[in-house]
Amino acid sequence: MPIVKVEHLTKIFGKRVKPALEMIQDRQSKTEILKKTGATVGVYDANFEVNKGEIFVVMGLSGSGKSTMIRLINRLINPTTGSVYIDGADIAKMDKNALIQARRKKMSMVFQNFALFPNRTILENTAYGLEIKGVAKTERLKKAQATLKDMGLSAFADQYPDQLSGGMQQRVGLARALTNDPEVLLMDEAFSALDPLIRREMQDELLDLQQKMQKTIIFITHDLNEALRIGDRILIMKDGQVMQTGTGEEILTHPANDYVRTFTRDVDYAKVLTAQNIMIPALTLNLDKEGPNIALRRMRHEEVSMLVAVDSQRQLKGVISAENAVAARQKQAPLTDYLDTAVTTITKETIVNDIFKVINNSPTPVVVTEQNRVLGVVIRGSVIDALTDDAAVTESKTKGGDSNE
Amino acid sequence: MNNGLMIAQLPVADWVEKFTDWLTTNWAGFFDVLQNFGKSLMNGITAGLIAIPPLVFILVLTVAAFFVSKKRWGLTAFTLLGLLYIYNQGLWADLMNTITLVLLSSLLSIIIGVPLGIWMAKSNRARIVITPILDFMQTMPGFVYLIPAVAFFGIGIVPGLFASIIFALPPTVRMTNLGIRGVPQDLVEAADSFGSTGWQKLTKVELPLAKNTIMAGINQTTMLALSMVVIASMIGAPGLGRGVLQALQRAQVGSGFVNGLALVVLAIIIDRFTQYLNQPKANKTKTPAQKKRQRYWTIAGLVAALGLVGSSVVYNQQQTQSQNKGTLNLSYVEWDTEVASTNVIAEVLRQEGYDVKTTPLDNAIMWESVAKGESDAMVGAWLPNTQAAQYKKYKKDVVNLGTNLSGAKVGLVVPKYMTDVNSIADLNGQANQTITGIEPGAGVVAAAEKAQQTYPNLKDWQVSTSSSGAMTVALGKAIKQKEPIVITGWSPHWMFSKYDLKYLKDPAGAMGQAETIKTMVRKGLKQDQPEAYQILDNFHWSVKDMETVMLQIHNGTAPEKAAKAWIKAHPKQVKAWTDVK
Repeated sequence: MPIVKVEHLTKIFGKRVKPALEMIQDRQSKTEILKKTGATVGVYDANFEVNKGEIFVVMGLSGSGKSTMIRLINRLINPTTGSVYIDGADIAKMDKNALIQARRKKMSMVFQNFALFPNRTILENTAYGLEIKGVAKTERLKKAQATLKDMGLSAFADQYPDQLSGGMQQRVGLARALTNDPEVLLMDEAFSALDPLIRREMQDELLDLQQKMQKTIIFITHDLNEALRIGDRILIMKDGQVMQTGTGEEILTHPANDYVRTFTRDVDYAKVLTAQNIMIPALTLNLDKEGPNIALRRMRHEEVSMLVAVDSQRQLKGVISAENAVAARQKQAPLTDYLDTAVTTITKETIVNDIFKVINNSPTPVVVTEQNRVLGVVIRGSVIDALTDDAAVTESKTKGGDSNE
Repeated sequence: MNNGLMIAQLPVADWVEKFTDWLTTNWAGFFDVLQNFGKSLMNGITAGLIAIPPLVFILVLTVAAFFVSKKRWGLTAFTLLGLLYIYNQGLWADLMNTITLVLLSSLLSIIIGVPLGIWMAKSNRARIVITPILDFMQTMPGFVYLIPAVAFFGIGIVPGLFASIIFALPPTVRMTNLGIRGVPQDLVEAADSFGSTGWQKLTKVELPLAKNTIMAGINQTTMLALSMVVIASMIGAPGLGRGVLQALQRAQVGSGFVNGLALVVLAIIIDRFTQYLNQPKANKTKTPAQKKRQRYWTIAGLVAALGLVGSSVVYNQQQTQSQNKGTLNLSYVEWDTEVASTNVIAEVLRQEGYDVKTTPLDNAIMWESVAKGESDAMVGAWLPNTQAAQYKKYKKDVVNLGTNLSGAKVGLVVPKYMTDVNSIADLNGQANQTITGIEPGAGVVAAAEKAQQTYPNLKDWQVSTSSSGAMTVALGKAIKQKEPIVITGWSPHWMFSKYDLKYLKDPAGAMGQAETIKTMVRKGLKQDQPEAYQILDNFHWSVKDMETVMLQIHNGTAPEKAAKAWIKAHPKQVKAWTDVK
């Protein structure tokens, strides 16, 4: 039973909407339409369904129309044509009052930049949705308190948003949406503004919450990993058009077209993937000023057993292992005596397939250098990753369209 | 310059006149209601403010300054000393009048401006229409608003209010619009996504977040309203502006500075108060309970302030109800002759038990105010020549009570050491070919311009206008330097007893022959105030009498004092006026 159903949904920005609409019926491309009419197509004849209780991820690069899509679902942007059925009622055809009622009862939204009201306390922010509905003050504050308590934010109830960290603020944003008890939760790149560690934490938290709440969540992201981690089903967009809808596994195994294939970085793509796409920042030790004690401390802190030794100009000097650092400390000798200088180096243009050949014979990490200057290191995991499928590498920037998000 | 554009001049002035005429005739009732309501309201507030003992008022404001500025001593001390200075200089009543005008015009500007700003922010079409109007309002010189203001509301405090509002409104509208448009897009989206109605979005999100910007606009509005106070005093708005204007017209540096400084003090106090109130709350960690308490205190403070003003208004009305023979409004122009005569007759009427208000105005506006019945009388109508234009325009609407002084004269005047000129026809290249005049609206100036057209040798001359005070200063300076100067002079005037001057002969009679000063009263005064009418009708004195008073005033005596002294010295003459059969 689909709770959200989108049919022939189209949004055209600009002045000459009518001719653009006719061109869409002729299935002409977005660039053609822009050239002929000057109108930008935000969403191009989209059709999909979202089932009750699933996390449905809409993903695509900047400018693919995913943000427009989510705003069409709660009609923050008015659609040009098409229908959005929520519980069988068409949002696109509603009058103002019905729309307000639908927004109050059916759906809530979480924003990329949190969009908390800076003039209200956390508690007042959380209770906003209920306040709008006209719920009595004591009751709405009680409900808001309960949500905050569930999310471990009770201690901050009387503080203001700018006194909280980004992660906290986004939790408040989520709490605000949940307090409203909506049927559908719309999340617009909710974790994109957070740093990777917190982001992962929030993803886990969302999954835990979903176990408890069984809400329908429409989640927007530009990050394939995020989509794969949390999405029950994924919709991939490009230039306003829906490319493919399916589970993560389906999309990786049977990409519908070349775009999805390159987007999900198939095996064939490894031929053109180079070292700079898969290298990670090197953990370095500056021999000019750092000694064995610092080396050991850093290894312990970073949870590794080797460091790349460099000088102040980041010139590669060798590799230092934990055993050698301990030996140097006992002998009170400088680290330079204990360096392993036989390091495999590659340039940043080296292709993944070639790295694969050298990395198997190298006990130490393979260092990516440019004129002997350390840029990063390549580890086995990422190479194997790149050669198989579900790529955990930085996106190659194949930016499409203008970023109007 | 004889191109196609110059063949037919567009009658823009005519159109504007016709439009204002149409407005004043068709909307007269509406304007009258507004005027009467505004007048009684503002007089009530002013009376209320004046009824509060000045020292109490100063104390309250000082304490307020202390708390508003978060316990900083600078503003507190400044408020105390500044207000004490104003009180000490005897400008308290003027200050209260000014405060009333500024408060009301700011308040009305906010009441009109904030909704307009909201409308502008919500609708692009409204913005496109309103923006050029605001530009027009802000760049048009403030003086221009005075003209229709008088046409609509006559003289006094209400037209001043009207002009102030028009002049001061734009910043509030602009900043409200800016503030609301400046609310981050995602916050607006968030408010929408939770199903806020337009009103909820406005009150819960947009206005609270735009508050600081709006307050900055309001601050500018109060400052502009204050600057308009000086200009509005030309059409009879009472207050500190009047003192500045008088000082300008009589060229009294000292008194101008004293009044100006009072305005500066007021401006700084208002500015700092509004700025401090606008500062973002530093104590962010206020609990709801603290907020609640703060709200109660604010409300209590407001109630107390309203009670204070309200009670004093009531008290005042009781005071004024036990009244005398009634109120008389005399209007005059700030010329030394009229200052003398108006003060004398006003003092006489006061001693007869009338409550007399004197309002200094521009010449043309003085005539208009009597013609419209806003002033009861004036004793400064120079005829048949000097004010011929005004008389022609308004003679149907005023009652001419005849001469109160004869032997007055106007003409072009030069120092005696200019031996080469004895007649206007002798003028050729002296004094930079400039006739130093007085206020642009004055009859003498019109006469001088007429002379300029009559005498061919004055073809390349120009009449430069300023004010009567500035003219006498220029004259004194020229005499000190033994430089040639030609002025528009009139007698009676103290300058003839101070310097050696001579009138230039006027063979063509362009400047008029000997003049008389006449008394004009409004229609219906005879029925309403027969006794006062009679006294005004009897009022009559000589050039010498007037010059005595004028000299005293010129030498630094306050006009009221000089008038009282003269009345004391001439009991018989005064009795002849006040004997009403």
